[in-house]
Amino acid sequence: MPFKPCAVSDTDCLRPTRILKSDVFRFAALFAFLFLAFTGILLGTVLWIVQETQRAALMSANDADIATVANGFLDEGIPEAVEVVKQRLGSPALSRPLRPDFYMAIENEQGQQLAGNLPQLPRTIGIFTTRFGQSVILGRGVEVTKGVYLFVGRDTAQLTATRARILRAFFWVVLGAIVIAVVGGLFLGVRFMRRIDAIAATCKGIIAGRWDERIPLLGREDEWDRLAGAINEMLNRISALLENLRQVSSDVAHDLRTPLTRMRNRLEEARAKSTSISEYSAAVDTAIDDTDQLLAMFSALLRISQVEAGARLSSFSLVSLTDVLENIYQMYQPVAEDYQHSLISNCQKDISIRGDAELLTQMFSNLVENAIRHTPEHTRIQIVLKSDGKLVTASIIDDGPGIGSSEHEKVLRRFYRVSSSRSAAGHGLGLALVAAIAQLHHAKLTLSNANPGLRVDTTLRSDWQR
Amino acid sequence: MKLLLIEDDTELAKSLVERFHEQDYVTEHVSNGDDGLAEALRGDFGAIIVDRMVPGMDGLALVKALRREKSTPVIFLTTMGGIDDRVQGLEAGGDDYLVKPFAFAELLARVRVMTRRIAHSPSKLSAGSIEMDLVQRTVMREGRSISLLPQEFRLLEYMMRNVNRVVTRKMLLENVWDIHFDPHTSVVESHVSRLRGRLNSGFGIDAIQTVRSIGYRLLAPN
Repeated sequence: MPFKPCAVSDTDCLRPTRILKSDVFRFAALFAFLFLAFTGILLGTVLWIVQETQRAALMSANDADIATVANGFLDEGIPEAVEVVKQRLGSPALSRPLRPDFYMAIENEQGQQLAGNLPQLPRTIGIFTTRFGQSVILGRGVEVTKGVYLFVGRDTAQLTATRARILRAFFWVVLGAIVIAVVGGLFLGVRFMRRIDAIAATCKGIIAGRWDERIPLLGREDEWDRLAGAINEMLNRISALLENLRQVSSDVAHDLRTPLTRMRNRLEEARAKSTSISEYSAAVDTAIDDTDQLLAMFSALLRISQVEAGARLSSFSLVSLTDVLENIYQMYQPVAEDYQHSLISNCQKDISIRGDAELLTQMFSNLVENAIRHTPEHTRIQIVLKSDGKLVTASIIDDGPGIGSSEHEKVLRRFYRVSSSRSAAGHGLGLALVAAIAQLHHAKLTLSNANPGLRVDTTLRSDWQR
Repeated sequence: MKLLLIEDDTELAKSLVERFHEQDYVTEHVSNGDDGLAEALRGDFGAIIVDRMVPGMDGLALVKALRREKSTPVIFLTTMGGIDDRVQGLEAGGDDYLVKPFAFAELLARVRVMTRRIAHSPSKLSAGSIEMDLVQRTVMREGRSISLLPQEFRLLEYMMRNVNRVVTRKMLLENVWDIHFDPHTSVVESHVSRLRGRLNSGFGIDAIQTVRSIGYRLLAPN
């Protein structure tokens, strides 16, 4: 993987020192070290076993020769033993040994060599090594009989050669392991840092205010993609909330300006034109009404944000939706009558869900009130509650003029008001609160055409969070 | 009747003291929680009006401490109009909860209802010639039976418990329907109008008086 130049920005740059400091590189180095230590132990063991086997083979050959000489002595005494030594060494006339890797010598009590191809002997009993010229000889010294010393030994050049071969192999393995560790560590480090840097770059972009930046996915569906996906989703959510907040602030600023301006104009007019106490008090009354409207708007906004924050979740309990809707029916029945509407309730018995009774009451009240207030006289408004066991659906259906399909989504936004209801009293927050309460209850809120009229369905899962 | 007002907004406190004075209440004003508790424990008040956020001991702690010694009615005044705040206030031992800003008439009506609250719950209520049997769920006026729907019965019951006193729309919504938000339709008016129809039908005198832009008052008709 090629290095990127360190020019664009801090996060795009892959300086070698950064890679050496990277966690993955350190991990790779640690791994390489462990691998080397293990290889060392393994090779040490192999070396030991091989050398021991070779020494044992050598010694058993030596001991076989000693046995032959000893047999000669037992059969016919020292002269025969000397004869055997001479035979083993080949011709007695030769001063140089016939086989340079095989050494033998026999001496009498006076230390006089009777036969052999080694000049000087230490007369040590047992296994030992001794030097002769360039050779290192491993052998055994024994007393054939009192004072008669026999030594048989063999050159260890083969042992040394084997050790050197094994150590050479070890060297190459270690070298290879180090190279693999370094290259692998760098590769992983670079790869790791690429992804980290991509995330960091996105974070910096967002810090710099570029809210639409997202971490690029590589489509490998690996853990990085999963992490990046989760972060992107989080960013989407935060962006949506921020956008919402921005929207609300500007809406509030705008929607406050209108009633405040109106109020100010009225008060100014009252001061300029009013001549009697009754005119003044009428102006004050209107101003109080205007303030009440503003305050109602504020408390509605506050309530929406509280519901959206989910603070009420802790107060969830088993609520009889049947009772909630029956109460709403009884509460609004006279109101509907005053508006010349007919309000009908068709609620299945004993339907309960987990939720907040007060908020659910407010939610369905808002829906029923909307149906009452925004429809012409003689509208039929139905409250329907039914359950299929898993899903509970509460519907408020009217046969009024309804609203255009394009506005079904929009009416749930704060301050949005369909053109036909702009002149009516209200602050355009009722349905936004309904949407927030529905979301808190994990309910699906659907607006549709009742042909004619508007149908609002709230679908809740009856087993939700039970 | 003496009232204790624990409120750190001096301008609001001054105006409340004056307006209560106009209504023949003597109001003692204290602007922090610690003095407030001391005063509440020491004095003999008909009702205590306490702001939830006052310097020193806060309103909730104050009422909790007070409740260990006294059962003086307490009404919370607060800007904390949160959904859970009301529950906290009532759980701490408050008897009523009013969110700022409020109309003075609303506070006055609540104080009046609270200061004359009868602790025991009788099985029968009467207001002049109107009699209500809470067990049998029947209503009689001048001996004639009047049939009411359940919600109308509850509405009349609340008004009879507070006969001759003003009850605001908000008080009715809270106590009759357990509704703690402002409806956008005339729920209270519609129900009162129906109750009025049933209660007055055949009688010359309207037993329910409308107090303009505040609420209603049940008069005890003879």
